[in-house]
Amino acid sequence: MKLLEREKEIISNELQDIVDEYQSKPENLIPILQKVQDKLGYLPLPAMEKIAQALHIPAVDVFGPATFYNQFRLNPPGEHQVKVCMGTACYMAGGSIAMESFERRLNIKEGETSPDRKYSLERVACVGCCTMAPVVVVDDEVEGSVTPTRVDGIMLSFEASDGEKKQEQVEGPEKEQREELEKEEKSEPEKKEGE
Amino acid sequence: MSKMITLTIDGRKITASEGEKLLWVALENGIYIPNLCAIKENNRLSASCRLCFVEVEGLAAPVTSCTLPVSEGMVVKTRSPRVDRLVQTAFELLLSHHRLECSSCSKNGSCELQKIAKERGLKLRVKRFKPLDYETEVDDSPKTFVFDRSKCVLCGRCIWICRNIAKVGAIGFSRRGLERVVSTFGDVPLAESPCTECGLCVEACPGAALARVQA
Amino acid sequence: MNSASIGDFYAEIKSKADAKVDALKEKPVVWIGTATCGKAAGAMEVKEAFEEAIKNSGLDAEVKEVGCMGYCYAEPLVIISKPGFPDICYGYLDEGLANRLVEDFLMNDDPCFEYALVALETNDYFPTFSDFPRGVYEEKIILEHCGFIDPGDIDHYIAREGYASLAKTLRMQPEEVIREMKDSKLRGRGGAGFPTGVKWETCSMAAGEPKYVICNGDEGDPGAFMDRNILESNPHQVIEGMIICAYAVGASRGYLYIRAEYPQAILRVKQAIQQAREKGLLGDSIMGSGFNFDLEIFQGSGAFVCGEETALLSSMEGKMGIPQQRPPHPAVSGLRGKPTVLNNVKTLCYVPPIIRKGADWFKSTGTPESPGTAVFSLVGKVNCTGLVEVPMGTTLRNVIFDVGEGIPEEKGFRAVQIGGPSGGCLPESALDIPIDFDSLQEAGAIMGSGGLVVMDEDDCMVAVARYFLEFTQHESCGKCTFCRLGTRQMLDLLTKITKGEGELSHLEILRELAEDIKGGSLCNLGKTAPNPVLTTLRYFKDEYEAHINKRTCPAKMCPDLIVYYIAPEKCSKLCNVCVGSCPTEAVYTREDGLKAIDQEKCVKCNNCLKTCPPEYNAVVKLSPPELLKEKEGNLS
Repeated sequence: MKLLEREKEIISNELQDIVDEYQSKPENLIPILQKVQDKLGYLPLPAMEKIAQALHIPAVDVFGPATFYNQFRLNPPGEHQVKVCMGTACYMAGGSIAMESFERRLNIKEGETSPDRKYSLERVACVGCCTMAPVVVVDDEVEGSVTPTRVDGIMLSFEASDGEKKQEQVEGPEKEQREELEKEEKSEPEKKEGE
Repeated sequence: MSKMITLTIDGRKITASEGEKLLWVALENGIYIPNLCAIKENNRLSASCRLCFVEVEGLAAPVTSCTLPVSEGMVVKTRSPRVDRLVQTAFELLLSHHRLECSSCSKNGSCELQKIAKERGLKLRVKRFKPLDYETEVDDSPKTFVFDRSKCVLCGRCIWICRNIAKVGAIGFSRRGLERVVSTFGDVPLAESPCTECGLCVEACPGAALARVQA
Repeated sequence: MNSASIGDFYAEIKSKADAKVDALKEKPVVWIGTATCGKAAGAMEVKEAFEEAIKNSGLDAEVKEVGCMGYCYAEPLVIISKPGFPDICYGYLDEGLANRLVEDFLMNDDPCFEYALVALETNDYFPTFSDFPRGVYEEKIILEHCGFIDPGDIDHYIAREGYASLAKTLRMQPEEVIREMKDSKLRGRGGAGFPTGVKWETCSMAAGEPKYVICNGDEGDPGAFMDRNILESNPHQVIEGMIICAYAVGASRGYLYIRAEYPQAILRVKQAIQQAREKGLLGDSIMGSGFNFDLEIFQGSGAFVCGEETALLSSMEGKMGIPQQRPPHPAVSGLRGKPTVLNNVKTLCYVPPIIRKGADWFKSTGTPESPGTAVFSLVGKVNCTGLVEVPMGTTLRNVIFDVGEGIPEEKGFRAVQIGGPSGGCLPESALDIPIDFDSLQEAGAIMGSGGLVVMDEDDCMVAVARYFLEFTQHESCGKCTFCRLGTRQMLDLLTKITKGEGELSHLEILRELAEDIKGGSLCNLGKTAPNPVLTTLRYFKDEYEAHINKRTCPAKMCPDLIVYYIAPEKCSKLCNVCVGSCPTEAVYTREDGLKAIDQEKCVKCNNCLKTCPPEYNAVVKLSPPELLKEKEGNLS
């Protein structure tokens, strides 16, 4: 995985501050990883290596927890994140149908990010909105009673909002990211590690 | 020096120091109990392989002997129908996720799994369960040994020794569930990791996951 | 320690809080439920509509956010309090209704009873909670304030006797607090039902400093959401419980372990901790007593296994969340090797009421061995989904059919899944068991965290068992042989059966393996993982046999054993809904104008069956799939 310039900068400039904030204690590894993922969207290997150095622990001891927990991702997420709830109530109410619909519409499988990094699709264990089952979390908003028809609606709203964005032509990191991505197009869907 | 106590294992009176774990007391007195993950010097007990079950008088269900401190008057049986059943199932489960090729395996004859099978009269094949897919790629990057995950039982002895005796820390557990593996940072080949090829892990491995390159 | 000064301290914060809350009673207030479930139902849009309408009306009225009162089926919900009227709760809100309520009720005096759900105070016009079956069975101890107070304002909690128990505790000896808790016979609500007072006592007597109190809010059971709801709706009751616990065991530091999947709960708790510190209820010399205690949030990072105490502690130490051999128990050697009390969110919530009203009061509810109440999240095929708090000893029948008002669409009851992946599926015959920790265990399930998923005749018990095994298998930490490999072997067998590839001998292997995993696993998650399979084998064996012997799914749920079919004799040529609803263009119009399904293209998404108008009801599911040939054969 090639790092973006912006990501390299964060790793070399900001990581140390995060680790310092947690007094360089190995027991604070989980909050440190959470904070780094907040900044970068995922946990690139160079970032984990740097954390290990700062905490004075073997790098593999950072890799272990990073691959153990559902929350951490080793590959960049899509611009839009779709999380399909697979709690009991959602499963009984057709959660797998919602998942299947997204897989079909996005043309990626559960746990993958689309090659253009636009969408990623995940399953979550239960978001605690069982009375609205089946539930899907779309870019941190909870959507209830999701049927294949609603999936189509969600996809349309993505396309609409992206249309608006294109008109505004955002500057800065997003533009840079897009340009870099255009260079390394046509990569295969990235499987999320640890799934 | 801790207090000496007397306990009975399979009808034999045995003296041991109080608090020592039953597994080691039995093994040191020539009484075999199957085990893979136990490391005597490790205080943080693993208790993960689930093979060292015994019956203890007064306890309702079989217990793992690697975690049980011995005490005065304890009466232990290393075999019983319940113990045998648990050990048989655990053993068969381990084999269901294992490349079974004893005749061509470098550890043939010196393998701990074979020893358990022999001691307990267990078959070295999977009958009740379906063999699961295993990792087929072998890491042959080190000069003197190979790492074949398809024969790994996840006992963790190599990790412990790499960390605590070799003081390197090149390998650790990663991922979870069925995907739990012994790996290097970022899954790089051992030769690209901090591994010094000291070979202690190879000595520690109960099977053929870490094995010397055949000359 | 000066007990008079603690009394003064409390009296002062109480009178300030009272004044603030009383001032609100002078004008109309719209209380809107904005917990995660409310928001998902559109509460924020409704809130904006209220704010807009009130602004336009020029009224002096306020809109305040509250948590969730548990009537989730009717979300979004609001409570309107207007001087001169009883407080009235309205359900199924949308922007139009919001405007109407402002216009008719707030500006004029018509309370729009046709949209009201329930009145909160006795009055001559509209029924209150106790006039409904639900109100008769419910008894609220820990959900009492949820949905009725602003979780973002500590004064709302204080005005309702909040932190009074803390003031009382600080004037007691720690041993007295522990004695009261032991007397109350409160059992831990995390699942296993261990006596809380005994746990506290063990920790208080264990050697080692500092000691820790941890609130386990890693609610991972799919289908359970009461911990989320409590943290979002009334975080202070949990915090007060933690401070009391800390005082009793001599802890100086505490952590609230909350799932990262619950961002709003984290936000609410953060606010609450901050406000408690500002009031002098956390930090150095709490209420001027000389007792120091502070707490912080630890965000879980998504691992079901971290609900297990030792795994949770490992994750707090920066490691993988992997269970450790016990003993030593955390109460003796927990976080960083120090004595640690780990209690569930609900357990800690019971503490303030018990201290305030006494152990005898607590024991007057529930059963002798399981006193108090049980909190259930009632979901699935039941009319009134939501959070329910009933006395221990209430039957499942009362909970499902009286409180939950039964199964929708007059379908038949099939089973109720209780206790999540560690629990079991109980049949009709178990509905009359008075529920407590012990009776459920006898029936093969567990109380667990209190998830109740009701299933009707359309739910396949083999598929449910398979679902849970898939869940446990996905969430297994992978450390021990039985759980890592055993649950996978069970899952593979169940998958075969749901695909119609099972054999009768598989049932015996399943049972043997389930028993061995139960007996041989390292931690309680592994030991309880086979429960969903064991209970379904015990109560619904005929369904397994139908899958195996007849390749039939009686509930018509397993995708490999069903086909969708449009009955030509029922289908209307004039209607086209199913064709439009099909996401894969499998439904098509035949030459004669009737509709049919191309089985090659069908993904079995159920959309056509759902959209076919009830007057035709032409789409049906057939199992086994071979029935299709028969049907089509009849045609030609």
